[in-house]
Order: sequence, then structure tokens, then C-alpha cells
Amino acid sequence: MDAAIRRRGAYVCRSCTRSLQRQLRRTYSSAAQPDIYDVVCVGGGPAGLSLLTALRASPATAHLRVALVEAQDLAKIRSWKLPPDRFSNRCSSLTPSSALFLDQIGAWKHLERDRVQAYQEMQVWDGVTGARIEFDWAGSAPAAGTTIAYMNENLNLTSGLLKRLEELGGVSVFDKAKVESIAYGEETEELDLREWPVVHLSGGKQLSARLLVGADGANSPVRSFAGIEARGWDYNRHGVVATLQIEGEGWGADHSKIAYQRFLPTGPVAMLPLPGNYSTLVWSTTPSNASLLKSLSAKDFIAMVNAAFRLTPTDLEYMHTQESGQAEEYSWRLEHTPFDYRAVPQTAMGVQEGTVASFPLKLRHADTYIAERVALIGDAAHTIHPLAGQGLNQGQGDVQSLAKTIEYAVSHGQDIGVTMSLEPYLSERYAANHLLLGVCDKLHKLYSVGSGPLVPLRSVGLSAVNALGPLKAFFMNQAAGNGIKVF
Amino acid sequence: MRPSLRHVPRALRTARPASRAAAAAAAPWLQHPQPQPPSRHLSTTSPTLHTPSSSSVNATEISHFSALASSWWDPHGPSRPLHLMNPLRHDFIQACLASSPTTSPPYSNLRYLDVGCGGGIFAESAARLPTTASVTAIDPSPTILAVARAHAKRDPSLGGKKLTYLSETIESLPLPAEPADRFDVVSVFEVVEHVDYPAAFLDRVGEFVKPGGWLVLSTIARTWTSWVTTNLVAEDILGVVPKGTHDWYKYINEGELRGYFGGKGGVWGPPRVMGVVFVPGLGWREVRGSEKVGNYFLGVQRVV
Repeated sequence: MDAAIRRRGAYVCRSCTRSLQRQLRRTYSSAAQPDIYDVVCVGGGPAGLSLLTALRASPATAHLRVALVEAQDLAKIRSWKLPPDRFSNRCSSLTPSSALFLDQIGAWKHLERDRVQAYQEMQVWDGVTGARIEFDWAGSAPAAGTTIAYMNENLNLTSGLLKRLEELGGVSVFDKAKVESIAYGEETEELDLREWPVVHLSGGKQLSARLLVGADGANSPVRSFAGIEARGWDYNRHGVVATLQIEGEGWGADHSKIAYQRFLPTGPVAMLPLPGNYSTLVWSTTPSNASLLKSLSAKDFIAMVNAAFRLTPTDLEYMHTQESGQAEEYSWRLEHTPFDYRAVPQTAMGVQEGTVASFPLKLRHADTYIAERVALIGDAAHTIHPLAGQGLNQGQGDVQSLAKTIEYAVSHGQDIGVTMSLEPYLSERYAANHLLLGVCDKLHKLYSVGSGPLVPLRSVGLSAVNALGPLKAFFMNQAAGNGIKVF
Repeated sequence: MRPSLRHVPRALRTARPASRAAAAAAAPWLQHPQPQPPSRHLSTTSPTLHTPSSSSVNATEISHFSALASSWWDPHGPSRPLHLMNPLRHDFIQACLASSPTTSPPYSNLRYLDVGCGGGIFAESAARLPTTASVTAIDPSPTILAVARAHAKRDPSLGGKKLTYLSETIESLPLPAEPADRFDVVSVFEVVEHVDYPAAFLDRVGEFVKPGGWLVLSTIARTWTSWVTTNLVAEDILGVVPKGTHDWYKYINEGELRGYFGGKGGVWGPPRVMGVVFVPGLGWREVRGSEKVGNYFLGVQRVV
């Protein structure tokens, strides 16, 4: 600890470090000694790693003493490697603004770029009425870049961030570490740490935090410690994911990759392009449908995926009642279903073994993102329906804003842990996130209706949007994260 | 000894009584048929003027701020506007330092003297900056200094010798004999409007600035606008500033300060000013020209 705390340039000045050490020896002579950090980040996912990278990469904040606490073995994630023809099933869409931020903090170049797939077109349609909204950059769309977003494996991102952090150095990493408890510090003759969170790790290590960052996911222990409620609901839907092998590299070939999403009454099904002949599937559906899909043979599973983009909701509903034999059912029903084959994704030919999985979908929004010496980012602050592919990007937006807030506070001599310093982060992110959570929620609910007066209305809506150039351009800019900052 | 009031302009004399009620009763514009913002000439009369206390400090002002001590660091308490203003103080100081070839960046090991530090909002923040060697912060109110010291204990980075609070007035603080041992930055934030004899006060404060160093202050211009915003709206209507914080008669106009510093025979360089406006919901914003109207910063570099 002595060497670490005396590190040159650390926020904790040398003379007080010495007095602190004397005092610590006195006070904690029998117990484990707490270690004083400017930032302790709990959670080594994309949000937590991006925040630490941003703080280490900025000259204004590089002198801060920072620590990372993560339950998993980060060495394994850092050295993550898959053959070029294998893809992880957990992928996320990264908007150009997220990619730009990752580039600014020096992490983008550490991603395996040949595993990242940009896409330039989006095809979205209503599974009940067939009404379409086609997103492409031709016509009224702004000229600034043609990439709507990048599909990327989450592990490629976390692995790249870890490589960048290793390059930057200076982070005290406590991985394979369980947070046993979080409590407040104590008051001594020289110091009053009664408002400082102290993270107690398994094994007795204690980290005192000027600012404790909760990047610890939807069930955030940091959020519980701060007494911040997260409100919302479960959608009673599961997201089924899989890595698919497709008959070709897409209708637009390699230079114009297309993302597809069809709204079915059970939830949206999306097929998003990966490099070459691969795509990633995100199918939001009922828990019982999800468990059926996971139980199917590869052949029947692929048939269900192809059916999801082609057959009617009634056909699909029937096929979900079969325990097996979907492949035969699909080829028979396909013959009797008229559709424009160029308007749907190319046929899925195979599914990579072990990639079919599912997770429950929910909406959660924390009441606030800040408390005295606490800030929440990413899923600890909000959980969103995946239909717009915005979850990870919201987290990146949080990180960018919090890093900027900390930088401003440091350069103006403010204590980065107090709510006064953190307020700009809250005001910049809360309303923006809330709006996007609400929009995705409403879209989900609107398209969950299989019949009734809403159905023709929503089709009119999509067709109207399709006909209105400027409005469409607005939606596309929002999807790419470079529009007016409404979402 | 009674202070001689012979050289003190009428406006200052009448504003002098220790009680606010008396000050209001004697307010010159109440005595005139046509209300006029009185001019506040900054007398250059020697500091011996204000014996018996031999201090710039007004007892009523001290008791007013002592009463606010417990809420000084409450981010949603009565000092919130001060907390929000603090980053702008640093921006202004950086701009002052950067404007002179002798103090422009990269600089390091700056020594600060904060006069009238209150609960330490500015002093703590100055001490945290990596370019700061030390901060000496003085205030006449022991009650407030107790709050300041207790608050500084909450931050390990403020320990050691970096931040020192002294229960002193500028008159009682010993002046370092060697000019080089004086301060790079002497700050007097939201203080001169609470001082009875601003000219004598500034004379003394100025001695603590090392040659090439900066005297930086902030205050409020004495205009109808500032009366409406700081007294009527902020204190009486919105209540965002505690009632009785401001005595409008003590406000000093930017032109008056320019005149004061310009009249010192070349000791001070040309003043830099920055006018700021408080926008509810947004905080403080720099507004060009607003130094003539309300809150403003003024910085001068000591030439010799």
C-alpha cells in the first residue's frame, strides 16, 4: 500500500499520505488497512472499463488514484480469442458517436476490427400488416458518414478496453473479487471519512472511495448501498440470441450491410449483420416460446428463424406449438406465402453450436444516478428493451458525460465525490435516458398488439414516416446517435 | 480614539453605522427627494482611520455569516449560489494568470491567500489544484473557521500543510517581510461589499501580493438592477440568498475600483473584469458588459 499510495502525482498529497499512514497504523493496527482512492469502480463491463479508460486517458484526470473491482477473471477476458468463423452470441450495436468516443479514449484501435461489422441500411416492418420503414442513407439523409452503426461482440469491446487500460496502466485492479459489503468510513483525529464509502472485498481488502462508481449491472450493489430505487417492470419476454450462418453476405454485399427487424405480436425479431456470411439474432418473445426455441434441433431452430422473417404471425403461432418438425412445416408453408425475398434477410443456413441462449427483458430506471460520493452508470442506472439496440450506447453516453463532469470538477478544484460536482452528469443524462427508455417501451407495446384499432393506425404511421424524408432522416440520426440530442 | 471622518465622503459616513436599521435610516437616497444611486468614493485615507478595532471587519457582518455557518456546505442550502459560482472564480484566475507573460502557463507551486474565506469553498478548491503549493485562508469569524476546518477534515488531499486556516483579519495577519515571500494570488471574493472602509482594506490586502502576483476580487455593482436582483429578488422574494446578506449601500461599482487601482501610481496593471449573471436553473454565466450591472470579477496584477 505504501508504494501505491505514494505514487507520484496521486491526488492524495504526500504529506497527508504520511500522516494518514501513521494514523492508519494506529487506528487499524489489528484490522485490514483501508486504501484511499479517488475513484473506485465496481463492475468491469463495458461501462466501467470505458470510464476508467477515459479517466486514465485524459491528462486532466490521469493523476487520480483509481481502482477497479470485478468478480470475473479479467485476464481471461483480456485474452479472449475466437477463430474468424466463430462469433459470440452477445453482440451490441455501437453508434458512430459511441465509436468516436471509444476512439478518443484510445480503445477503438484495440478492438479486433475484422470482427466489427458496420451496417448502412435498416429494414424495419410490421409483421401483422407488412407496412415498412426503410432506412438508408440515400435521398434526404445527411451526408455525414454512411454508417448507421457497428455490430460488435461485447467481449471484443471489453477485451479491447482491457488492452487499452493495460497500455495506460495505473489502475489498481481487484478482479476475481467479491464485494462482501459497502459501509461508511470512520472519523479519526485527523480525518473524517464518515461520508466516504468503503468497499470491503472478500479476503479483507478495504477500499475507501472519494467517488464510488456503480457500473455493476441491473442488480447493482452500489445502487442498493446508496439507497437509490430502480423502478420499472418486466416485459414477460425473453431475448433469444444466436449466431447464424447465412446463405451469403447479404443483399447489399459487403459494402452495404443491412440490419433487419420485424415487429411480431410476441415482440420484435432482429437479424443484424456480422462479418462475412454471419449474422446475430435477437428475438424478443414469450418465455414459453423462448424455451421451445432453445429446445429445438439446429435444423428446426433455423426454420423458425427463417419463418420469423417470412411467414404470417398465425403460421408462426402454430409452429410454436410443435415440439419438433418445424423444418418440414416451414418449407411447406413457405410455398404458400407470398413475400419479396429481397426485402427480408437472406436465408439462415446454420446456427453455431452453443450460441442459442436467452435472457429476460425488463425496463428499469434508477430514481437518480448520483448520491453523495456515488455515481451510477450503464445498466446500474437503467435497463432498456433491446429493440433499438441502445443499451450499450446509453452506457457509453453516461461514461462520456461522467468523465467530462469529473474532468471539469478536477480542473476547478472541486471534490469529485460530492453531489454538487456530480450534478452536471445527472442533468445531462437523466432526461435523455428517460426519453429513450420511454420511446422503446412504447414501441414495444404498440407492436405487441396483434389486432384491433391500433394495428391499421400504426401501419399508417410507419408508411407516413417512410414517405416523409426529413422525419425519416431525423429517426435515422437518432439511431446513429448523431442527431439532435433528443434521445 | 474616534476615527476622523473629515476625509470620508458622506455616502460612506452614513453607511457606516453598525446596525443595518441605522444604515437604512441614514441612507442618503432616502434623504434626497430624487433617489440616486450614491457614488462610493474609495477614500485613500490611512488605515488608522478605523480604530478602535483597527480592522476592516464589521461586527454585524461577522454575526450574520456566523449564523450561516452550519449550512455553509449544504449543497442545497443558502450558500448554493456561492458553490455554483466557485468554478467561475477559477476560470477568472486562470484567465488573469494567462494574460500576463510573467504568470502565464505552465505555472506551478502557486501560493494563495484567501481573504474572508468563510467556510472554505474557494480555499478548499484552490488547495486541490495540482498547480497550488499552499493556500492560506483567513476569516475573522471563529465559528465559520470551525466549520471550514471540520469540512477540510473530510478530504485527505487537504491535509498536511497545503491548506491553512487562520482566525485573522487582514490587518492582524503579519506581512511577510520579503516581497518574494508574499502571495502569487490574493483572493477577496464577495468580501468588499461587506467591508466598512474598502479603500483602506484594499490598501492592506494589496501589500500581500508579491510583485507580478494577482489581486483578484469579486463583488456587486451598485445599480438599480443589483438592488432588485440581490436584495429584492434573491433575498426577499426567492429567498435563495439569506435575508440580510447584502447591504446595497456597500456595493462598489467597477468604475470606482478602476479609479482606486489606477490612482496607485503604477503599482497595479490594467484591471481585467468579467461580469457574471445568475440564471436560476442554470447557474452562473459570463455575460459581457454585465460588470456594469451586477456581479463581477476584477483582477489586477501587481507591477512592482
